[in-house]
Amino acid sequence: MAQYVCRYRKGEQLRWISHLDVKRTLERAMRRAGLPLALTQGHNPHPKLSFGPPLPLGATSDAELFALHVTEAMDADEVKQRLNEQLPPGLEVTEVWALPAYRKKETFGNIDLAGYEVTLGDSVGREDLQGRVDQLLASPELIVHRGGERPERTVDLRPLIHRLEVREGDDGPVLRMRLRTGSHGGARPQEVIALLGLDEREHVRRYHRTELSTRPSADRRPGAARGRRWRRQRR
Amino acid sequence: MMQISQFEALLARVNKPARYTDGEWNAVHKDWAAARVRLALLYPDVYEVGMSHLGLHILYHVVNSHPDYLAERCYAPWTDMEAELRRAGAPLTSLESRRPLSEFDVVGVTLPYELTYTNVLNMLDLAGIPPRAADRTEEHPLVIGGGPGAVNPEPMADFFDALLVGEGEEALLEILEAARAPRREALDRLAAIPGVYLPDRYQYSPAGPGPVGAVTPREGAQYPLVRRYVADLDAAPFPTKQLVPYLDTVHSRVTLEIMRGCARGCRFCQAGACYRPRRERNLDTLLRQAEEAVAATGFDEVSLLAFTSVDYSRIEQLVTGLTERLGGRGVGVALPSLRADAFSVAIANQIQKVRKSGLTFAPEAGTERLREVIRKRLSEEDLFAAADAAFSSGWFRLKLYFMIGLPTETNEDVEAISDLVHRLLDFGRGALGPRRGRLQISVSVAGFVPKPHTPFQWVGQDETETLAEKQRILQQTLRARAVKLSWTDPAVSALEAAVSRGDRRLGAVIHRAWELGAKFDSWGEHFQPALWEQAFAECGLRLSDYAHQELPRDADLAWDHIACGPAKDALRAELDRALGGGEA
Ligand code: SF4
Repeated sequence: MAQYVCRYRKGEQLRWISHLDVKRTLERAMRRAGLPLALTQGHNPHPKLSFGPPLPLGATSDAELFALHVTEAMDADEVKQRLNEQLPPGLEVTEVWALPAYRKKETFGNIDLAGYEVTLGDSVGREDLQGRVDQLLASPELIVHRGGERPERTVDLRPLIHRLEVREGDDGPVLRMRLRTGSHGGARPQEVIALLGLDEREHVRRYHRTELSTRPSADRRPGAARGRRWRRQRR
Repeated sequence: MMQISQFEALLARVNKPARYTDGEWNAVHKDWAAARVRLALLYPDVYEVGMSHLGLHILYHVVNSHPDYLAERCYAPWTDMEAELRRAGAPLTSLESRRPLSEFDVVGVTLPYELTYTNVLNMLDLAGIPPRAADRTEEHPLVIGGGPGAVNPEPMADFFDALLVGEGEEALLEILEAARAPRREALDRLAAIPGVYLPDRYQYSPAGPGPVGAVTPREGAQYPLVRRYVADLDAAPFPTKQLVPYLDTVHSRVTLEIMRGCARGCRFCQAGACYRPRRERNLDTLLRQAEEAVAATGFDEVSLLAFTSVDYSRIEQLVTGLTERLGGRGVGVALPSLRADAFSVAIANQIQKVRKSGLTFAPEAGTERLREVIRKRLSEEDLFAAADAAFSSGWFRLKLYFMIGLPTETNEDVEAISDLVHRLLDFGRGALGPRRGRLQISVSVAGFVPKPHTPFQWVGQDETETLAEKQRILQQTLRARAVKLSWTDPAVSALEAAVSRGDRRLGAVIHRAWELGAKFDSWGEHFQPALWEQAFAECGLRLSDYAHQELPRDADLAWDHIACGPAKDALRAELDRALGGGEA
């Protein structure tokens, strides 16, 4: 039994398929690749897979993660190569590393930071945008109402925004942001766009996720899992 | 080609954009310029439904395997996407190359069932192709229909340049060959292909209300028009590189067609009548195809497709062989269609050792007398033996299909459905003992629809009110908590009957209904009976003449020129036997 973590890219072509669809697609690719997938016990055996936090529909990414179990250990690069041969354009495994045998099933439970690049059209001027960003970052709190959630609640997004800056992109300005994510509460890039007073349909060309990571442990609430960078680990 | 960015902007605003984005594993993208004939395969329902239609996958494979031809797909845009396309003034495009359908040489339309017909008109219109064949010119693609609905092409005759009656995997290549020529010449060539029907080379002489009257050939057209079928199913092309959808469709799994046709001869069944003879694929072929398809798709389930899969002569060997080869990889086998008997359950049990979801049986009628009338050979003994086998091997959910409004049916027959379900319930409670609380019986009740080419084609459907009354009887008598009752809206059944038995005059009604806004008629939330009433009225026709009228036995019928199922005399004799007491 061996476990591998894979980082993958979701590109242009597949940005309109949902997280659930991606899971199914990857699972089928693994089967086509003939990887000796370890199956769960019980009524309805299925491959032991786990996935990082879902990507919003319509976004692209360089930083997605999943983990798989196989019954026979193999070279990580072989896993990568065999998977990539079976993935459609728009999905590509960019990095694979093996986890030590003693490690439990990877659940990505302690990922709590996500980085995004939001490409804006030329409909917003660079200056204008910088002004909005400065104003937002200067606010002591940023209360948003989440009507879609049950129970409905209000959240202060300010502490969840770790970084927000304007960069020059190939065609128009790009917003780079690093936001808290995960089960303890997070901010969505769409919410930040709204807080900046921008209209998603009118101004946003593309959401792109650049990073999924874990905060250093000093920065965490007491009792939270120990921090770990999502870098390739050498055995 | 539509501007990619323009299309992307539309995607951002619709539900399930993956319906429109293509790029599925095993999708074929051929060189447009190199293809001699380009075919758009149009399916008049939403992506998830259309992707489950095996026929379309077969044709896609057959055409794209040919060096000279190219096939791309197009499914009905959901209403949100349609609104976006119309607002943007953008034409309906194919999935693969996103080219407008009007740029193709041939648009091949599947007619899966009657309630999709307005969608056909709507899709042609969205593509900028005039829905009526008479309005099309040299600059438009040939629009050719086919599929189950083509066995009575008359209600859709106005909208097609040609229709193929019968099975398509051989005829389609002949059709594309003919389509290389310019439009007029192509039509002449099409007319010479056996099974290809060119509606405007025939004339209809109505002889009364409803579908009564003869369709006769002009210009030496084929008469009768004999449907096509594949003689050797084992040798027929079958795709193992099946498309793998991203979206969860109705059948996201490998489909193996193990058998085509059915020899059971239920008298209401059009599929049984029109897909004769019963043909099987060889065991070895199927085992090979299953292995290839699993390897090429990565699906985790293989579904054995046939009208009644356990009628396959070597079903046990097939099931054992598949489980041996695939079980270790976590790939399951599924039988979507069962017979109600203990043997079927034993087979199902063998392959569903772990997934005991539910079993489906179709007794169709509540009394043995009525089952004799419709020739559904199923004794109560068999049904209880099946239930016994199911309960004792761990199933606790049964699904039962019934029809109401069958010929000679009385209210007692309807009450007998309740009675039968209750007795099965009691039986199940006894058999399940301590686990009785999990017992659930779903009862699905459809209105009987008389279909052309069956012995019941002459029978009038129950009036909508009568059907509704029979439903009420069931609602009142079937009240156990463990029973879930569902039924089809009698107005839907009436429309289905009217279009099924439609003649050429119905073309005007379908066109008018579409103009008034009818589409997705098979989707409860979209079906608007009032639009259809208005369309019938404006065309000076009555729905009940088509749906509810008993047709005169000796009259010409609007589909008599299509030789599809058994000869008319044989059908009449069957009907007599059915009504005369039901002896075989
Ligand atoms: S209802 Fe089923 S068993 Fe009966 S003839 Fe039709 S396909 Fe065969």
